[in-house]
Amino acid sequence: MIPLSDYLTLGGILFCLSMAGIFLNRKNIIIILMSIELMLLAVNMNFIAFSHYNGDTAGQVFVFFILTVAAAEAAIGLAILVVLFRNKNTINVEDIDTLKG
Amino acid sequence: MLESYLPILVFLIMGAFFGVAPIVMGRLIAPHRPDSEKLSPYECGFEAFEDSRMKFDVRYYLVAILFIIFDLEIAFLFPWAVVLKEIGMFGFLAMSVFLGILVIGFIYEWNKGALEWE
Amino acid sequence: MGIEEFLFFVFAAILVFAALMVVTIRNPVFAVLFLVLAFFTSAGLWLMLEAEFLAITLVLVYVGAVMVLFMFVVMMLDINLAPLKEGFIRYLPVGVLVGVIIAVEIVLVVGAKNFGLDKVVDPVGHEAGYSNTKELGRVLYTEYVYPFEIASVILLVAIIAAISLTLRKGRQTKYVKPEQQVFVRKEDRLRIVKMDAVKKQSAAEEE
Repeated sequence: MIPLSDYLTLGGILFCLSMAGIFLNRKNIIIILMSIELMLLAVNMNFIAFSHYNGDTAGQVFVFFILTVAAAEAAIGLAILVVLFRNKNTINVEDIDTLKG
Repeated sequence: MLESYLPILVFLIMGAFFGVAPIVMGRLIAPHRPDSEKLSPYECGFEAFEDSRMKFDVRYYLVAILFIIFDLEIAFLFPWAVVLKEIGMFGFLAMSVFLGILVIGFIYEWNKGALEWE
Repeated sequence: MGIEEFLFFVFAAILVFAALMVVTIRNPVFAVLFLVLAFFTSAGLWLMLEAEFLAITLVLVYVGAVMVLFMFVVMMLDINLAPLKEGFIRYLPVGVLVGVIIAVEIVLVVGAKNFGLDKVVDPVGHEAGYSNTKELGRVLYTEYVYPFEIASVILLVAIIAAISLTLRKGRQTKYVKPEQQVFVRKEDRLRIVKMDAVKKQSAAEEE
C-alpha cells in the first residue's frame, strides 16, 4: 500500500530538481528546455496519482493533453533554437541580447 | 495487479540474459591477448582523421518534428479505435474533425515541399 | 515492506537520480540519455498507478520522438560546451537553497499529514478484464471533445511553425542532372570567337 503522499512528494522533488536545473544551467538553452520537460513530467505524475486515488479518469485525459502540448512546445522550441543557432552561432542565453529593453 | 506483469518480467530477464550471455561467454572462452597494435583504431590504414561525431543535417530535424506530430496523432487514434462502438456517430464525427484539421497541416507541408528530401 | 513498496522506492530513486544527473551533467548528450531514463522510470511508475495507456504513450511519444529530436539538436549544433557551464558553481548555492526550500514547502503540504493512507485510501486494483484505454476513450471523445479538437489545432500550429521556421528555400546541394547532361550540344558549351591576329609586342618596344 503506497500512500498518495509518496507520489506527490516524488512529483514535488522532481519539480524542485528541474527548477534548480534552470537556475544552474542558465546559459544553456537545451538544458533549460529539458528541465521544462522534467517539470511537466512531475506535474503529470501528480495528475496520474490523483486520478488513480480518486478513481477519476479526468486526470489522465488532462495528462494526455499535457503530453500533446509539451511535444508541440518542444518541437517549436527546438525549431526556434535551431534557427537561433543558425543566425547567431551560439545558444548561450547571455549572447541573445539584441532586444535590450 | 502486479502479478499480471509477471510475463513481462520473464521477458525482461530472458532478454537481458540472451543479450549478456554471449558477451560473457565470448569473454570467457575466446583467447584474449591484447597488444597496442591490436587495440589501435583502424580506418583504411590511416590514423583516424577527425572525431567520429559529426554534425547532422538540418533536414533530418524537420523530418523528426513532423514525425512527432503524426506520432501524437496516432496516439489519439488508439483509444478512439477501441471505443468507437460505444461512442458511435458522435465520436466518429469528432475524430473526422480532428483528422480534417491535421490534413490541412499535411497538405500545407506537402505544398511547401517539406516532405521532399531535396 | 511489500513488493509494490519496494518497486516504488526503486523507481523513485532511479527517477530522482536521473533527474539530478540531467541538471548537473556536463555533456548534453548524457543529459538527454538520463532524461530518457527518467521517462522510462516514470512510465514504470505510471504502470503501477494503472495508467497503462499513458505509460505506453510516454515511452512512444517522449522516448521515441521527443528525445530523439533533442538528441538531433544536440548532435546538430556543434556546441562549445565550456562557456555554457560557467556560472554553474556560482549559482549552485542559491539554486540548491531555493530548490530545497520549495521542496520542503511542497512536502509539508502534500506529506503524509494531508495525503497519507489514513486520509486517502489506496483503491483496490481493477479486475483482469479492465481496459484503461477504453476508460480513457470513453470520456476523451465525448466529454472532452472540445479540448480534443483544440489539441488538433495545436498540432496544426506546431506543423506550420516547424516548417516555416526550419525549411530553407532553394537547393542546399548541387548535383548534375543526367537527362540534361546527355542532351547537351557543342553550341551550348563552346563559343568560337573570331579575332584579328595581333602581333606580339616585344619587351623592348614596351619601354
